[in-house]
Amino acid sequence: MSSEILIGIGCAFVIIGTVGMMRFRDLYSRLQASGVADNAGLGLVLIGLIVHGGWSSLDWGLLALLALLLLTNPIATHSIAKSAFTQGHGREAK
Amino acid sequence: MLAASEVLLAATLAVVLFRLLAGPTTWDRLMAYNSASNRGIVIMAVLAASLEEPLLLDVAIVYGMLSFLGVVVLSRFLERGEVHR
Repeated sequence: MSSEILIGIGCAFVIIGTVGMMRFRDLYSRLQASGVADNAGLGLVLIGLIVHGGWSSLDWGLLALLALLLLTNPIATHSIAKSAFTQGHGREAK
Repeated sequence: MLAASEVLLAATLAVVLFRLLAGPTTWDRLMAYNSASNRGIVIMAVLAASLEEPLLLDVAIVYGMLSFLGVVVLSRFLERGEVHR
């Protein structure tokens, strides 16, 4: 039951983040929607999968995948944003 | 429940792939690539949990490392400005 709640909340986060990626006007706003909502939603889905069905041998791999996702997704988002800012995107005179 | 979450994640993956095709700038496409690969990894994890197949988890971990490496390398190339965008 708790795993279903966690997976449902995670799917809601992912859907909200996807709507934000499609609807926002600015590159940096879209990057924030992508990075924050993906990290929260996909992490919650993975935690729900770990909780699902008790302790099994699959859970170590899911834990490693969760650690990898939580470690690499903010680094990738920051790298994309830094690349765009260094190239002068969004710094034109308004 | 797992099948429904797979369908929802696949639907968001299709929407993100539309952003990958129609992104105004190159960084939008890079962001969409990163997001789509993350969704693919989690879809693989859900599939591994529903099929009780541990091999798919190893595939997902290796794919996550490689996609992270690709995103960081591409953004570093774009940051130097040596690539025509």
